[in-house]
Amino acid sequence: MQEIARGLQEAIRMLLSFDLEIYEIVGLSLRISLSSVIISTCIGVPIGVLLGLYNFPGKRALIRVIYTLMSLPPVIAGLVVFLFIMRKGPLGFMGLSFTPTAMVIAQICLVTPIITGLTYNIVKEKADRVRRLALTLGAGRRESVKLLIYELRVGILAAIVTGFGRAISEVGAVMLVGGNIVGKTRVMTTYIAQLQRMGNYDRAIAVGLVLLLIAFAVNAVLYNIQEKNA
Amino acid sequence: MEIRIEKVKKIYGNRTVLDIEELFVKEGSLLGVIGPNGAGKSTLLNIIAGIERQTEGRLYYGEKRSETIPYREITMVFQSPYLLHTTAEKNISYPLKLRGWQDDAINRRVEELTEELGLVRLRKQKAWTLSAGEMQKVALARALSFRPKLLLLDEPTANIDPATTGELERMMKKINEEEGTTIIIITHNLSQAKRLCQNTALLHKGKLVEAGPASVLLKEPQNPLTKAFINGELLI
Repeated sequence: MQEIARGLQEAIRMLLSFDLEIYEIVGLSLRISLSSVIISTCIGVPIGVLLGLYNFPGKRALIRVIYTLMSLPPVIAGLVVFLFIMRKGPLGFMGLSFTPTAMVIAQICLVTPIITGLTYNIVKEKADRVRRLALTLGAGRRESVKLLIYELRVGILAAIVTGFGRAISEVGAVMLVGGNIVGKTRVMTTYIAQLQRMGNYDRAIAVGLVLLLIAFAVNAVLYNIQEKNA
Repeated sequence: MEIRIEKVKKIYGNRTVLDIEELFVKEGSLLGVIGPNGAGKSTLLNIIAGIERQTEGRLYYGEKRSETIPYREITMVFQSPYLLHTTAEKNISYPLKLRGWQDDAINRRVEELTEELGLVRLRKQKAWTLSAGEMQKVALARALSFRPKLLLLDEPTANIDPATTGELERMMKKINEEEGTTIIIITHNLSQAKRLCQNTALLHKGKLVEAGPASVLLKEPQNPLTKAFINGELLI
């Protein structure tokens, strides 16, 4: 209990004293997570909508693959990305090893299936009723798609929020491809893991609390947008 | 809008769910479609609305007997209506926006319909907070907003109380009589068919058993199947 209380004090002290290291780590964590979520949204939402609307050979198999990837262990995603971008890997010439870009790529691999799968489920559930309604109100093809996206906006936002939750809390993949380098690739989760290994529990708890606070703040903003659009 | 159906069949796999030799719905009439569950009533309405395509046969719309589905002149209200995730008034105005109406004309029309259907105080209410009867009223107001020539109703009063049913029936009768809108309604409620419809058609196992004036068909049915249905003895 004493350690938790000290952690709380340390968290408040770190935030109020504008501890530069912490602000850098928080900033990088947010940049990486938000970038990966934005890119994953651009990929996952259209794929989810198309999968929900159209049938084609191999669709069932593809959906099973997406569902499997939704629970992809982060270390596997990290390992695969690492093997591609390491110096001797097929993309080694790009020099991405141990960079924030590599961390974004690893998170995209984890977040995209989540956003795709959840979007697909929402479309599958609602698309037919919306399509029927659109037809009976005289909407054309383009208007029907617009109406569908309008009707799915709350569900899609929920999928994005879930994706962000996965990205900001992820540690295994970013550790493997980023390496937790001070001032370069150190993010909150990798820092907590390191502090725990070093036995610096006060600071680990403090960073953990900051992470929770940020996750809460970002989710609160997204939730507000969701509520306003509901 | 008159509707002419000729040799229309709908087949799913090897199951024929609809097989109508001929059915004519006169412009401005109010036709009640009755029949046990699984008789093909909803399939018939879905085909007329263009939601589903028939496997065989032809449908003609209007006096010019066009085979093109006039989506902008037809509308349908379902038993469980789907309301857009927004306010009641935005639901009602949606078809008008689609048709490029000006804002003041939209407001006037929404006002008119909400007054007629007792929805004035619910205009700004979110659709998902409405009761089943209020939802159905909003769905009907939305369907009527653009003054359709053909209104298809799939058991619109199945889940609502008698008072709301009465309000909806009065509205249907009014637009049928005053605006000449052709209405086809599916109902399991024979009293409703008697009250509301000029003509009735009985479907059974996808086939049209008997059609004629409601006052005759429901009182003195000629076909034994119609008699059995009215007596509550006709099953799927």
